[in-house]
Amino acid sequence: NFSERCRAEGSPAPGPVPKDQVRLYSMRFCPFAQRTRLVLHAKGIKFETINIHLKQKPDWFLEKNPDGLVPVIETPAGEVVNESVITSVFLDEVYPEKKLLPATPFGKAQQKMMLEHFSKITPQLFKISSARRKGDDVSGLEAELKEKFTSLNEYLVKRKTKFFGGDTITFIDYMMWPFFERLGMFEVQHCLDHTPELKKWTELMLEDPAVKATMHSTENHKTFYNNFLDGKPDFDYGL
Amino acid sequence: MATEKCFAKGSPAPGPVPKGRLRLYSMRFCPFAQRTRLVLNAKGIKYDTINIDLQEKPEWFLEKNPLGLVPALETSAGEIIYESPITCEYLDEVYPEKKLLPSSPFGKAQQRMLLEHFSKVIPYFYKIPSARRNGEDVSNQEIELKEKFAKLNEHLEKKTTKFFEGDTITMIDYMMWPFFERIEVLELKHCLDHTPELKKWTERMLEDPAVKITMFNMDTYKAFYKSVAEGKPDYDLGL
Repeated sequence: NFSERCRAEGSPAPGPVPKDQVRLYSMRFCPFAQRTRLVLHAKGIKFETINIHLKQKPDWFLEKNPDGLVPVIETPAGEVVNESVITSVFLDEVYPEKKLLPATPFGKAQQKMMLEHFSKITPQLFKISSARRKGDDVSGLEAELKEKFTSLNEYLVKRKTKFFGGDTITFIDYMMWPFFERLGMFEVQHCLDHTPELKKWTELMLEDPAVKATMHSTENHKTFYNNFLDGKPDFDYGL
Repeated sequence: MATEKCFAKGSPAPGPVPKGRLRLYSMRFCPFAQRTRLVLNAKGIKYDTINIDLQEKPEWFLEKNPLGLVPALETSAGEIIYESPITCEYLDEVYPEKKLLPSSPFGKAQQRMLLEHFSKVIPYFYKIPSARRNGEDVSNQEIELKEKFAKLNEHLEKKTTKFFEGDTITMIDYMMWPFFERIEVLELKHCLDHTPELKKWTERMLEDPAVKITMFNMDTYKAFYKSVAEGKPDYDLGL
């Protein structure tokens, strides 16, 4: 019923969130919003999406979330939660089916520590792609990225598990996935060449239903990202 | 035979953590470690402290905790938890007395969102003193910090509560406190001049028993920061 087209400044405010679902404010190509979408799909949560025009944000959106960023979750009670990790944890706590975080405090802490490590990788991806665009030499940055991928690979080898939290997908896999989905877009897929377990992990993730439901092809990612970097983002690309 | 003096490279490894105890790896003047110490004390948790020489980290410490950061917790099961917010949430989950986080998922999300906002304030506590030492003009940065303090002040004004999320201290108050404790020695106290609710909050925090146990006075901080500026941090100052 809701169009996927993004809502911009001047668009009418949406009504309250219907009682049996949550609302996600999102942008179709945003990797951070994809984290929340992965959790929503994986847990089978009923939700509706309102995509936001991130260059011409509606006033009613900024009132709900002065930071103006996506993803944002709004509940029927009008509670607003933002920040990709905070929304994901919130959803896992509210909806008990298909728990993504471990039940034990130490298990949860381990996932949060892994996420902290991973959070150092994300800025590097953007740095490499923006440096390459400027025509700078990215070999140093790529070497650093390869080292980080090697650490991740070693982690999988040591634990002998298919995924980062065990032999089934958990929270941390979904938090990391959107950036691995975009390795082609960032033109760093060759940085996985010497990390076979990590490569295998990406192949396993591509078979996951929630990933399939939320992903875009590398081609679509590339088109969106290049328009975005050119200052002309087409948030509705592909619709 | 507990000593507060810090352990450096070449020091003997401590034995395993005794059953029923918790060990904290810390540094007496670290604001991030103070967060964990505040939570430990507020919740009445029994723990032992091993202070670490952060410039000459012991090999045994790096083996347990490759990032070598403090604060870090070690349980009698040999589990290691690091990153100050992760240690604090872990403690609140494991030790049920005197809960510092709300029980509702939205309440927890609100605390985490506030912490995320505050994490953007923390760099100013480092940037401004360091720029001042280099003889740079800090007036713009001070304006930015005052704006951030004004937002915090607004939050308190709107909620009309004594602390950030209620009339009793909760987790977010302890997570923010260590930086305000150092505000005078960092010569940033004047940035609170137009934020009366925030000022009042600092006065209330100074009366909290956990704050009183973990804090240091202006003179001690002055001497410690002087030793840091001189390139030889005196981690054992005052012992």
